[in-house]
Amino acid sequence: MANLRDIKNRIKSVKSTKQITNAMKMVASSKLRKAQINILNARPYADYVNEILRTLKYKNIQSQHPLLDDPREKAKKAIVVVTADKGLCGSFNTNIIRKATEYINSHPDTDIICFGKKGRDYLKKRSDNIIREYTDLFNEMNFDVSKEASEFLLDLFLKENYGKIEVLYNEFKSAIQQNVVVKQLLPVIPIESEDVSKMDFLYEPDEDTIIEELGRKYVHVDIWRIMLESSAAEQGARMTAMDSATINAAEMIEHLTLNYNRVRQSAITTEIIEIASGAEAINL
Amino acid sequence: MSKITIEVMQPSQVKISDEYDHVIVPGSEGDFGVYEDHTPFITKMRPGILQLYKNNSVEKYAIHDGFVTVENNVVKIVCENIEKENEIDKGRAEAAKERAEKRLRSSESDIDFRRAELALKKALVRLKLQSR
Repeated sequence: MANLRDIKNRIKSVKSTKQITNAMKMVASSKLRKAQINILNARPYADYVNEILRTLKYKNIQSQHPLLDDPREKAKKAIVVVTADKGLCGSFNTNIIRKATEYINSHPDTDIICFGKKGRDYLKKRSDNIIREYTDLFNEMNFDVSKEASEFLLDLFLKENYGKIEVLYNEFKSAIQQNVVVKQLLPVIPIESEDVSKMDFLYEPDEDTIIEELGRKYVHVDIWRIMLESSAAEQGARMTAMDSATINAAEMIEHLTLNYNRVRQSAITTEIIEIASGAEAINL
Repeated sequence: MSKITIEVMQPSQVKISDEYDHVIVPGSEGDFGVYEDHTPFITKMRPGILQLYKNNSVEKYAIHDGFVTVENNVVKIVCENIEKENEIDKGRAEAAKERAEKRLRSSESDIDFRRAELALKKALVRLKLQSR
């Protein structure tokens, strides 16, 4: 039977682990709240950029700007893989990595851009097609950083003849649910909406400039939204994972304490028997 | 006097959403004023000063880039950076100006040059608004 001190040490270490997981849960839930507020705040901007772009596309079907054109099938393709920088968030990273591996196996010549350390660490060992990596993106969420990354992607698309760029990321469904989705980033597909304005706008300087600039803005805000969603999903996943870790730790402590008491009791019983039989021996 | 609605949206928040008498917007091809019943219009903005007039008082903002649409007496602006007069950090703007000037003198590639030029313009707009 296990020795008393061993069990005691074990209980102590499980207790401190429980404290850590519990603290991580609290931190994740407050970060999640922040991330959700960020998503809501970004919405009017994103919606409006989408609305104007939609209106312009609707009116100018004949002028095909490359940003709004159909994907060029024969050209190079790239995929952006969005994972977290940190682990301990359940299957958040594994789900993305699994999907990314599948994707790469079926499209072996696709180039990869990594957002987040976890995906990079895994994919680096298995693929030579990583052309760019961005890490430590999610600590300080910052529009300028996402803008820089999107400018890089826009350059790939407009100057380096990539035909299609997709993004693989965790969509934020709710605090406890994330979905892995693949979204086409470029060429831009404005979301269909009811709010198509029937107005005939005057353009300054001209339509093409406006479409190009708006398309760029759309990509900026799309990447920004994806980063916000991924970070909210990450915090949600971490919160759930840490919550169940805390519950498991509590269960384990209960189990160990029971075991500890049992061992202690049997040790005491043995001792009493020894003393009693010793005393008996003297009294004889 | 009838009013027009102004909405200014940033990626992080809705900055302004209110009614004004008229506004002056720094468009890419020149400043333009918007009064009631302006024709539907869409344009880029250049770094400049956005002026919002209400009851003979004026609010001024430094605005750096973005789009403006005018439709049905609603002016909607999407931009990344916008600062009210009293939000401008003069020290930072001056530092940015110097940095941009230095880079303009030393930069070789076209892209660097254009970036520095834009940064300089932004800094100048901020300082201009500050010094009034």
